[in-house]
Amino acid sequence: MADKIKGKGVISGIAVGTILLAGQNLDSFLVNYKAGTLEEEKKKAANALVEVAENLHKSIDDMNAKGLKEQAGILEAHRMMVEDPAMSGAIDEKLDASGSAPKAVLDAYEAQAQIFEAMEDEYFRGRAVDMRDVGKRIAKFLLGIKEPEIAGKVIVAGKEIEPSVIAGLPTDKIAGVILGAGSTTAHAVIIAKTRAIPTVVGVGDGVEQMADGDPAILDGETGEILIRPSEEERASYDEKIKKQEELKAYYATLKTLPAKTKDGQEVILAANIGSPADVDAANGFGAHGVGLFRSEFVFMGKSDVPQEEDQFKEYKAAVEKCDGNLCVIRTMDIGGDKPLPYIQVDEEENPFLGYRAIRISLQRKDLFMPQLKAILRAGKFGKAAIMFPMVINVKEFLDAKQFVEDAKMELAHEGKEFAQDVQVGIMVETPAAAVMAPTLAKYVDFFSIGTNDLVQYTLAVDRGNAQISYLYNHFNPAVLRLIQRTIESANKEGKWAGMCGEMASDPNAAILLMAMGIKELSMSAPSIPRVKERIRNFTFEEAKKILDKVMEMEDGDKIKEYLTSLK
Amino acid sequence: MTEATTTIENKTGIHARPASLFVQTASKFKSKVNIKAKGKTVDAKSILMIMSMGLVKGTEVTISADGPDEADAVKTLKELVDNKFGEE
Repeated sequence: MADKIKGKGVISGIAVGTILLAGQNLDSFLVNYKAGTLEEEKKKAANALVEVAENLHKSIDDMNAKGLKEQAGILEAHRMMVEDPAMSGAIDEKLDASGSAPKAVLDAYEAQAQIFEAMEDEYFRGRAVDMRDVGKRIAKFLLGIKEPEIAGKVIVAGKEIEPSVIAGLPTDKIAGVILGAGSTTAHAVIIAKTRAIPTVVGVGDGVEQMADGDPAILDGETGEILIRPSEEERASYDEKIKKQEELKAYYATLKTLPAKTKDGQEVILAANIGSPADVDAANGFGAHGVGLFRSEFVFMGKSDVPQEEDQFKEYKAAVEKCDGNLCVIRTMDIGGDKPLPYIQVDEEENPFLGYRAIRISLQRKDLFMPQLKAILRAGKFGKAAIMFPMVINVKEFLDAKQFVEDAKMELAHEGKEFAQDVQVGIMVETPAAAVMAPTLAKYVDFFSIGTNDLVQYTLAVDRGNAQISYLYNHFNPAVLRLIQRTIESANKEGKWAGMCGEMASDPNAAILLMAMGIKELSMSAPSIPRVKERIRNFTFEEAKKILDKVMEMEDGDKIKEYLTSLK
Repeated sequence: MTEATTTIENKTGIHARPASLFVQTASKFKSKVNIKAKGKTVDAKSILMIMSMGLVKGTEVTISADGPDEADAVKTLKELVDNKFGEE
């Protein structure tokens, strides 16, 4: 019989694989470690360095053979850190103090990590993580903890999971994710979402019942996890897995088909992404470009303002991967709810109505300019667009646009290449912007409707509040009118309107929005096939009739019911 | 012992790629190779020590070697620095 653990399923799908523990704590192993004499420990440590370097060598060859160049590159750097002549001396020194080889290894690499962390250069600071990783790898070898073999598919589990753990593994190797913490907005979960990896969160101490290499089954819908399942238990999931495979195969057949109604009206289906690597996964689902690149990851986890050059590399990578399709990059959208060391936000009663997003960018030239310049330069490698978040009036847009012009001047002055024709638009996510859409449309190149905030601000409903979340509905007639107004205003001025909020991934909304005249729907990539399927089942003529009917209805819940009932 | 002094001229200084190139080159020689800058001397075969020095553009460095192939080592490594590690 398997150990059963229950959490909250957040990304559906069945995952079968072996457990790979992330962020493992070595303390209990260190306490139980029986150290020998100082001489013996020194020998053990020296031997461990040789063995671990040798193991890394094998893995590197293996990865190179499989064409996993990026992963091989990371391991190659790790190998150099293991073989570094400076480390054996440092470990011996630490050994004199602690007398335990694994402890000395951890201490020595920790000391080196701290040196890197204190350095000014962002690149070097980032290497601190690698140093700790390497130290842990060697210590595990000394403690006799086996490195899990990633032969088959793994289910990554941990109380907390560093985003780098998931980002560092090839997508086709990760079957599932189990997170002890309950957060659905953890970075690891967001990455899992863009890659459609079945995920269960909130299992708490359940993680302690798992060991590296345990076979496991996870159901991302029900939140059920089976550790070491019996043959019968395993078989009971066969039916579900088969269905999942069939659906996947069916969706795969849709990949290259256009998102067109039966009578030929087409809409662009694009992807929401959080990092350049997500574009690869999005392309796999048949995305045509990126409708929302959340640039926040460039800003998070940094102790200082991110530099133009670093941002340029990220944006360029994303733009190139879009392969000639548009890549819409949203400028910094951060506020008091997640303050950063270099953005001073006083404590606010209501951060979502506070100093955030474009309001910060317009006051902080030192933050805004490097980002704009980086995007303009990336535009040279494909098609990029700049999108400002949270705009409420024409003045904000014009001020921001002036920054773009200034950025171009500076780039020209510095002799750097950039794209002149980068489109500049806004997110329509405040009721003010939607109401003023006819005026704003004269100035912008495009609108992208951010429904998550637009619904919250329009209905004054915090969707996270369980007592009132029933009021949150993107089919609320007030919301639909604001959306229709926005789309029609854009079309009237010969501009385009798209949508990048969650509503865009609702298949029931797609035909309605098309009838309103929307040109692009951007969503988390795994939703693309579902939306496309819906669009291909209707004619544009039918869609217009449906829209007429919906706009006569008075109740959001009834509208939702009606749209769901349509075949 | 042979030694030579030169200045880091490539834009990014001794970043990861130049550092690993420098270390790989130094490791080909049997001699003990050191690099000295800002009053500190470190093992030129250690990428960590070199990276920790934070060598930026304009830093003056002295490369020294002691052993059977010391002249060749110093000459090769100085050339690597002078050629800006093949960058730009």
